[in-house]
Amino acid sequence: MSLTEGFEPKIIAFCCNWCTYTGADLAGLNRMKYPENVHVARVPCSGRVNPQFILRAFQKGCDGVMVCGCHPGDCHYSTGNYFTRRRFMLMKRMLEYNGIDPGRFHARWISGSEAAKFRDTVAEVSERLRKLGPNTKYREALREGADAGKGGAGI
Amino acid sequence: MSDRQEKMRQSAEKLLRDGEVGYVIGWGATRFCDRTTPVFIDSPEGAASLVWNEHAVNSLAKYLLDDKYPDKKIGLFARGCESRAVNRMIKDNQVKRESLYLIGVPCDGKSSDRCRLCRERNPLVYDVLLWEPEANAAPADRFERVRGVEAMSPDERYRYWGGVYDRCIRCYACRNACPVCSCRECYVDMGRTGFQGKQHSRSDNQIFGVTRAFHVGDRCIECGECERACPMGLPIMGQTQKMLKEINELSGEYECGLDADSDSFLGRFDLDDKDEFM
Repeated sequence: MSLTEGFEPKIIAFCCNWCTYTGADLAGLNRMKYPENVHVARVPCSGRVNPQFILRAFQKGCDGVMVCGCHPGDCHYSTGNYFTRRRFMLMKRMLEYNGIDPGRFHARWISGSEAAKFRDTVAEVSERLRKLGPNTKYREALREGADAGKGGAGI
Repeated sequence: MSDRQEKMRQSAEKLLRDGEVGYVIGWGATRFCDRTTPVFIDSPEGAASLVWNEHAVNSLAKYLLDDKYPDKKIGLFARGCESRAVNRMIKDNQVKRESLYLIGVPCDGKSSDRCRLCRERNPLVYDVLLWEPEANAAPADRFERVRGVEAMSPDERYRYWGGVYDRCIRCYACRNACPVCSCRECYVDMGRTGFQGKQHSRSDNQIFGVTRAFHVGDRCIECGECERACPMGLPIMGQTQKMLKEINELSGEYECGLDADSDSFLGRFDLDDKDEFM
């Protein structure tokens, strides 16, 4: 059995409380269908997201990480997402430099009314990860028997 | 050489005798002829133990962080690297310029490998300059090593850094030596927050490496102390320099510590920053 057969990616999405989280909520209210692989973590602002959250997520078994916030200019705290933008432009490059596939980390601006964009983004990321297969990089070594066949330890 | 050493001793002695400074940080001899050690001189008589030769490789600026509120000024021998560190520390609100007396000593080249990237031998900030400025030597290609890693495939890069961090013993010497690592309590010592696993494994080691680079990368003055201090000889500047290379590409010429006014890249933002997250 290949590793990717029947593989469902695990995605964590850090969503800003004021925009993306509301957008995801709206997607639900509108009965939009999006892949259930995504686990939404609500943060007060996308600027709250520490780059270490991303490393830690990969370490603990996530196959992909999303950071979503308000569009530049719309931040509830005025400037939070400008810092996010800089930080994750660098973080994205650092991850790639360290050998993580660029498809595993995504940052997106999704406003409170863009339910469809949330749905499409999650679908797109999920589809991309399904092709990439389970993430083995940065992954903590699994205990014997635990999660066997669902991804495996680091390379 | 000994002439300069004599000047340094005299200047330290005078400062201490006049009560201008509480103590002077400099280099002293060890029992090995090819090593020096940082010394803290607090009496005029002690100034005779100061040493200046090509083995005075330690960057002294880091010690300023251990005494942020001194009773009297701290005398510090400052070369290019120390002065850049001081600039960075002033901007980061770690030290006050008023509490420092910087004795400028233009560097004549040291025996350490960390000096291969040196772009500034002369102190950029000082209270007194003991001798004429030196001509800057042509530094090695700044991002040569980064480009070498970039040329690899993603899997090769992962294996490369994995191999590097497999050898890391997590002694945190890189953090201790780094002049811009200035948190009062380091996240790696906060055992119960869950930010950093304590296990000695490839995964935890790599995450430590990337996080360290991200913490200091945008303020890195490229002094090379982290690599010099690393007991395993790991090429860890390859990570911080990647940050600097990307910042250079994103926002133009970027170098830290050249003055005490410039914000760090991640400490500010620009409305016109490139936006690739639409």
